[in-house]
Amino acid sequence: MDALFDGLGDAFRLIVHGDRDLIATTLRTLRIGVEATLLAALLGLPLGCLLGLRRFRGRGVLLTLANAGMRTPPVVLGLLLWVALWPDSRWGGGPLAGLGWIYTLDAVILAQTLLALPIVIALTAAAVQAVPAALLDQARAFGASPWQTALLALREARIGVVAALLTALGTAMAAVGAILVVGTSLGNATLATAALTNWEMGGQNAAAVAYGTVLLGIFLVLAAALTRLQHRRTWAAQT
Amino acid sequence: MSAVPLAARELAIARGSRTLAQGVELELRRGEVVALLGPNGAGKSTLLATLAGLLEPAAGRVERGGRVAAALQAPALARRSVRANVEAALAWWGVPRDQRRERALTALRALRVEQLAERPAAALSGGEARRVHLARGLALQPDALLLDEPFAGLDAPTRAELLHDASTLLRAPERATLLVVHDRAEAWALADRVAVLLDGELVSGPTAELLEQPPTAALAGFLGFSGELREADGASVRLRPGHVVADPAGPLAGRVTHRIPEEDGLLCELELEDERGLLQLRLPHPGPAAGELVRVRIDGGVRIAAGAR
Repeated sequence: MDALFDGLGDAFRLIVHGDRDLIATTLRTLRIGVEATLLAALLGLPLGCLLGLRRFRGRGVLLTLANAGMRTPPVVLGLLLWVALWPDSRWGGGPLAGLGWIYTLDAVILAQTLLALPIVIALTAAAVQAVPAALLDQARAFGASPWQTALLALREARIGVVAALLTALGTAMAAVGAILVVGTSLGNATLATAALTNWEMGGQNAAAVAYGTVLLGIFLVLAAALTRLQHRRTWAAQT
Repeated sequence: MSAVPLAARELAIARGSRTLAQGVELELRRGEVVALLGPNGAGKSTLLATLAGLLEPAAGRVERGGRVAAALQAPALARRSVRANVEAALAWWGVPRDQRRERALTALRALRVEQLAERPAAALSGGEARRVHLARGLALQPDALLLDEPFAGLDAPTRAELLHDASTLLRAPERATLLVVHDRAEAWALADRVAVLLDGELVSGPTAELLEQPPTAALAGFLGFSGELREADGASVRLRPGHVVADPAGPLAGRVTHRIPEEDGLLCELELEDERGLLQLRLPHPGPAAGELVRVRIDGGVRIAAGAR
């Protein structure tokens, strides 16, 4: 219990005094998590709409893969990426060696994006499937293009879609395993989750609780913002 | 500008693997209103969806000489305000942003629902939703407007009000209008021509002509000619209850087999003597008892030649 209270006390002090490391690590964690989620949304929302709204051969297989992908162990993904990104050497290099991303923040963003992507795809597909077909048929009958129909479906399913993004963001920001594998040599450019794990392993429990508290706080703020967006009435009243 | 914005040529329509109708020939001309009638499951909505381009024809083709919009049966509205719903339809239709608001409000005003413009669509009553749905279709100003049962699910007074307003609004010299209805009264009130989809075939003609002189027994039966008077040469006269008049000096006599009380009288079914057929007629309350002999004369009806289906 002492470690917990010490940690909470440290967290309070670090936040109040605007600790430079804490701020840098926090902002980096936030930026990387948001970037990864945005990338996953950019790819996952259209793909989720495609799987949720269209009928085509292989759709079931793709949906199954997306659903299974939601539970990808971060460490496994990290190892696969590590192999893929491993630079050219006398033992050979990975297929993505040319990117030169191993042990960089780009590798971390890639890992987090790949963890978040199946979540966005699978949950978006489920959300838009629940939109009444009559509404989408009516839009088509009034001349809506496939993109406009998909946009309508996303708007109508916004509660589910924002939940998908929220879940993806949570996964991206909480994924430690993959980060430790592909970004283990980042040094002082590390993320809060990775720092938290390293400190806990090194016996610095109080500092770990401090970072954990800040991390939880960040996620709470983000979740509140997205929840507000999810249930915003004015959005519903706009064209 | 084509005078025929929408036409079906040798069209076959299907739901899945089931063909519902084939050989459908239909032309919609600007300025006219056509009512499409047919029993449940005949394929009216499928035909409308095919004409609108939502379904592929099973065979034949749909020719479009202009833009076609369809207001489908369910007045499906998004979770937005009424005005936003109409404006969204205008956006899909390609109307520039600066014109949408005015066009939306004009259409809502025409349907007498302008005061609902800022209300969430989910808060509308059934009748209001129907009016907004119709307003969306009219706001687009298409060359051909297809309406699938625009009066479905409304109570009698609401339906009568909407029917009254629609009888004026649906008429536009530059637009062809096709509306699916299941009530002959709606066809009488709104349409210049009627098309009936029955047993996989489409028969069309001017409203009064087709509804009063259906060419086949099947069509007559569907159009409310429920009575049948068999003649010696094998032909038959198909009759609506209004064509049969109670007359103590009438040439025909029949016994009452069924009595169905109605608002304005009694609908009686008569089994004619000498097995000449079954007739229906309306009589004032309290009317004859079951089994009682009633004499009648015929005033109207349509003669179907022997062999005509």
